[in-house]
Amino acid sequence: MKKNIVFAILVSAGAFLIQHHVPMVQAEEMGPVHSITLPTIPAELKEGAGKDKVMTLCGICHSPDYIPMQPRLPAKTWDSEVHKMIKVFGAPISDEDAKTISSYLAAQYGTDEK
Amino acid sequence: MKSRFFSRRDFLKTSSSIGMITAFGGIPTDLFASEGKLVRFPEKTDLILLTSRPPQLETPKHFFKELITPNEALFVRWHIANIPTSVDLRTWRLKVGGNTERPLELSMDDLKGLPKVTYTAVIQCAGNGRSFFDPRVPGGQWGNGAMGNITWGGVRLKDILAKVGIKGDSVEVAFNGLDSGPLPTVPDLVKSLPVDKALEEDIIIAYEMNGKPLTMLNGFPARLVVPGWYASYWVKALSDVTVLSKPLETFWMDPAYRIPANPCACVPPGTKPGKTVPINRMNTRSLIIEPSEGNRLPAGKEVAISGLAFSGGYGIKDVVVSVDGGKTWKETKLGKDLGKYSWVQWTLPWKPAQKGKHTLMARATNSIGESQPFDRLWNPAGYMLNNIEKVDVIVG
Ligand code: HEC
Repeated sequence: MKKNIVFAILVSAGAFLIQHHVPMVQAEEMGPVHSITLPTIPAELKEGAGKDKVMTLCGICHSPDYIPMQPRLPAKTWDSEVHKMIKVFGAPISDEDAKTISSYLAAQYGTDEK
Repeated sequence: MKSRFFSRRDFLKTSSSIGMITAFGGIPTDLFASEGKLVRFPEKTDLILLTSRPPQLETPKHFFKELITPNEALFVRWHIANIPTSVDLRTWRLKVGGNTERPLELSMDDLKGLPKVTYTAVIQCAGNGRSFFDPRVPGGQWGNGAMGNITWGGVRLKDILAKVGIKGDSVEVAFNGLDSGPLPTVPDLVKSLPVDKALEEDIIIAYEMNGKPLTMLNGFPARLVVPGWYASYWVKALSDVTVLSKPLETFWMDPAYRIPANPCACVPPGTKPGKTVPINRMNTRSLIIEPSEGNRLPAGKEVAISGLAFSGGYGIKDVVVSVDGGKTWKETKLGKDLGKYSWVQWTLPWKPAQKGKHTLMARATNSIGESQPFDRLWNPAGYMLNNIEKVDVIVG
């Protein structure tokens, strides 16, 4: 029973592996272990002062694509997002870097509203 | 015609990032985020990319023509980046304990040895439709594709809780999964239900979706299913069920996933609620799937207006459709009834006579009279959107 389930899963996982040109792994070798490999999808952020900091520091806990996913937001909303990451989730970001990041976000993904 | 109906290929030609469609800051006009970048993750088909780590993937609109959502098409939503990508069923155990007479560890074989329950239920993210909020709010920018209708198979939570014996002073049951925060400061995703809720008949620990094991990205090897309630409670890759004598206080219970403590779960746009409560039962929704926004229809030829409707556990009594922007309404024909937690498909034949723009609207009512408002509700977190949707089509 167990084995059948694992096999069924590997068939669909296999389709993914082939598509990404990774050698196909035999079902028998995998045993009752169900594994997947996540694809890597580079995030693309707009060019602008502070972009490198954003890519690094805002990419520690999640992909930086959390930023371009957002609609344009007022500068104060971006600033409170940055501080939410620091206060609530413990983002290791200095006050100075937080300022640079907030300015980048307001300039590249902000509204005209202040 | 507006550019929002361009095909996926056109989209990929003009943009390589989902940022393109949201960057203008307005409200998307199509009801689904059908123009985003498509990506393929393991065990899944092409889904719309919101974020890659942790993965948040939305179901493209065409899958909503189906009564049952295929496993490979169901949306994906993780909160914290260390998600399980490998599970060994020889060592995986569901640990049940806390404020109980005895602890218990169950293997997958143990779970499968218990009486099996199967039913169809809508799974919907609390933030489904968030990108239509006005003013817009930060968070996962879902169109309407963070939902699906799945036949779940598993064991009753109450059967498992009966085995461990809940102590009399218990107040909540907490659920934790195999995922964890990328840094120790990121709160682990643990959710809880009041004890009375947790003991309800229909709450299951599901190890099957549509007769197959769960896909890894939808919570392999087992997840909680709380039919009728938002998916934030449906903890994936479940590892621990803990009975508590005090309410759980985590970021994910408070301040996250809270709604204004009033019947509409809403406040005037741009304002903050006073009292809040944990999000819970889903409100009633209906979505027009065909035709799509901006479609051109021939005059004098019969077409079908069709869609789906569901409510938080009370089935659907009727769905009415208007083809004149809400002036007059006609009752639609409901499709196969898969039970009170499932969505139901509906259809109305329509032979448009007059040329020009027509505004189609659909409104569902459930068996206890809950329906949908004309105006979009608003709350700061972008939860529970369920207004009557409008779809504009052009005849002639
Ligand atoms: C310490 C870890 C961590 C770091 C570093 C971090 N984030 Fe986050 N971020 C999170 C978590 C956790 C979530 C919430 C995920 C959820 O609810 O699904 C989140 C969510 C978000 C969201 C979605 C909206 C919301 O509030 O949930 C945005 C936008 C965001 N982060 C932007 C940023 C930016 C900009 C930076 C860099 C300043 C950053 N993040 C750095 C942990 C982090």
